Amino acid sequence: MPFPLGRPLGVADDPAFQRDVLRSALKLLESATEPTIVDYPNEAPDANGEGVWACAIELPTPEMSELESAVRSEIDLLMPRYQEARRSRGRSTFGMSGATIDQVDKVVSFAIAVAEGSGFEDVPSAASGPNWRHAMPILVRFVVEDLRALYQEAVTSDASSRPPSQREMHTWIFQETALGQLLKQIAQQITDHDDPRLRLMRGFIIPEGFWDGDRAFGGVPAGMSPDDYVRSIRPYLIGEQS
Amino acid sequence: MVRLSELHPEEAEHMLGRAALLKRSSFDFDATPWIMPKPLRESTIALISTAALHRRDDPAFRFGDTGYRLIPNDIDPAELVQSHISVNFDRTHYQRDLNVVLPIDRMRELAEAGEIGGVSPIHFSILGATESFLFERTGEEIARRLHDLGVDTAMLVPV
Repeated sequence: MPFPLGRPLGVADDPAFQRDVLRSALKLLESATEPTIVDYPNEAPDANGEGVWACAIELPTPEMSELESAVRSEIDLLMPRYQEARRSRGRSTFGMSGATIDQVDKVVSFAIAVAEGSGFEDVPSAASGPNWRHAMPILVRFVVEDLRALYQEAVTSDASSRPPSQREMHTWIFQETALGQLLKQIAQQITDHDDPRLRLMRGFIIPEGFWDGDRAFGGVPAGMSPDDYVRSIRPYLIGEQS
Repeated sequence: MVRLSELHPEEAEHMLGRAALLKRSSFDFDATPWIMPKPLRESTIALISTAALHRRDDPAFRFGDTGYRLIPNDIDPAELVQSHISVNFDRTHYQRDLNVVLPIDRMRELAEAGEIGGVSPIHFSILGATESFLFERTGEEIARRLHDLGVDTAMLVPV
């Protein structure tokens, strides 16, 4: 299936195309006589359309010195669109951290505290309340994902407009929003942290190509395979080992 | 699977590394298991997603998780969240339409049209970021459950 990562059925809201993808895979069961790899012949419908995607919601230019108020202002502007998307789709993917959407204030407090140096050992005191589903430090990654879900669902709420590609979405978040600056500040805290094992989590927050420094997945010791390294530090990242 | 040429070079390098690891850790089998399956029109089919989807009340997938979660075929999509660790795949289409990663509506339509025999009452979800060779026990357990459910065919939907 020659589709972007994350889209095994090709494209959203196109039942006919999705059924064709399924049929093509299932029909191999009736034709193959041995383990078989066949390329799906069709590209995904050009869901991204012509031209360059631009966010239809105008956000103020963020300033690092007032990062918290800038992020909260963005969320205030985006929330009506988010709620519209939630209503029209009947669902939202917000909640991976354990927080509910009416606790988004605590999600922001959490992210701001980490960006300002509260550390990666304990949940920031300003963020008590939600039933967080993960332990520190990996909880930071899911707090970030919830904020991204809110932004992404808000700016794609208009079903009639073409959705952004993954790269366009990353570019908008990291180059045009206060959230992007917040995420980069969290990434800088990770980079500056004494424990190099934390560095791997930066790659779960900043996509490849959006970190101005070493690789997004930093910290792999020389001579060690990335997979071996990941396995060795997982207990630390999920909070089972200090 | 996305074309490597469409990935960021460092992401493509990561993918190739994972593929090499998979090749090095391939399992040994006494024989190549191959069966001719039942005709699709008679087959009950289950989905196995690698998207780390789970019900909001279920335990979230943890980084390196080798377990699985059950997803009822009649689930309200609003009850599903995703605990996948990677930031490097497109979530915008999934956020618009669950069927992009878990095509439960499409499977139901194929069953209603008589193209497949039926849809399993339960589907399965794993965290695909975990190395595949660590899933041997989970694979066996899912296979047993599929058998007990009367499922003829499992369709892996990799995210």
